[in-house]
Amino acid sequence: MLSRGTGIRTAVLLLFAVGIALPGHAGKFNKVVDLGAAMPEFADLPAVDGKTLSSRDLKESVVVLVFLANHCPWVKGMDGDLVKLAARFKGKDVRIVGVSVNHREDDRLEAMKVHAAKAGYNFTYVYDESQELGRKLGATRTPEYFVFDKARRLVYMGALHNSPASMRTDGTINYTKGEPTEFYVADAIEAALAGKAAPVDETRPQGCTIEYAQSK
Amino acid sequence: MGGKLSARLLLVGMLLAGGCSRPPGGERALETASLVPISFAGWQEKLAGYRGSVVVVDFWATWCAPCLERFPHMVALYERYKGRGVRFVSVSLDDTGDAGALERAREFLKRHKATFENYLMDENITDAFAKLDLLSIPAVLIYGRDGRLRHKLTGDDPNRQFTSEDVDRALEETLKLD
Repeated sequence: MLSRGTGIRTAVLLLFAVGIALPGHAGKFNKVVDLGAAMPEFADLPAVDGKTLSSRDLKESVVVLVFLANHCPWVKGMDGDLVKLAARFKGKDVRIVGVSVNHREDDRLEAMKVHAAKAGYNFTYVYDESQELGRKLGATRTPEYFVFDKARRLVYMGALHNSPASMRTDGTINYTKGEPTEFYVADAIEAALAGKAAPVDETRPQGCTIEYAQSK
Repeated sequence: MGGKLSARLLLVGMLLAGGCSRPPGGERALETASLVPISFAGWQEKLAGYRGSVVVVDFWATWCAPCLERFPHMVALYERYKGRGVRFVSVSLDDTGDAGALERAREFLKRHKATFENYLMDENITDAFAKLDLLSIPAVLIYGRDGRLRHKLTGDDPNRQFTSEDVDRALEETLKLD
């Protein structure tokens, strides 16, 4: 016979376990995962530097996965801000990994190498042809960010900041809401490093649509 | 009617002038403008006015590669369902301050013979997505004759992104319902 307190604790633990295990446990905007979800494992994804990356290689306390697409004006519009983010956390216990999953030629590895060099990417940029990482995380936008803490639990997902920017046809950058004033990803990283909850944990990602193969 | 049209053309001109640079031949482009700026409130009114018809709305933009790939199917559907009480409408979510993008949008519509109603959402694009309750484009929304939203086809779920066949099926279902 369980005591009332023990029973409640058991029920809460069970619900927590079921919540993590159930597929389709969606967030406010994300249709696949919710906060607290485990970072999916991945193996031997080819990177633009000629190496490969597996999830087991990631030893840092905080991991940021950002879905990118070379062709996308919203990615180009916020490339500079992403590079600044990586520079800000350089030398800290943080790993930023860019991921491309689209199958169109200009989003594949060879084009990624060109784009990474042009945009000055200062973080690992990998290609996941299987698209599994994107599917498992419910990633549908580029750019779209996922921040994981030391336990590799999802603590933030969504946009980089509160003023999504795109590159216009004349090459200028248009911040849709003016100068960004809320830096969701940076704040989530700082909070995770300090062992605290992200001040904002999910936002509406804005950008290009990731195209998933229809066979699944 | 004429006054409204003039106002719309003037707004297109203002949008072009508000861009970073005026495209060459901008004045001539105005004469063949096929994109009509519309506010979110105006769009709501427009939708309400469609009551009595089945309506297929395609949200798209020139910056959205899959939108451009899917758009010809919309035109083909329009041709197929002509005379069957179905109204086809496109709403562009292009950057209203990007003169080059607006020019591309008009050229695209002309090239694909999109002779149905084509609107340009005249709102801050980040606000527009929130107001329209859209996470992504392409998105196809199908309304019944009673004005109710019957189908919302999007790419929001990686495992259930819509196909052209889904649009065909949804439209047929809506026509049967009403």
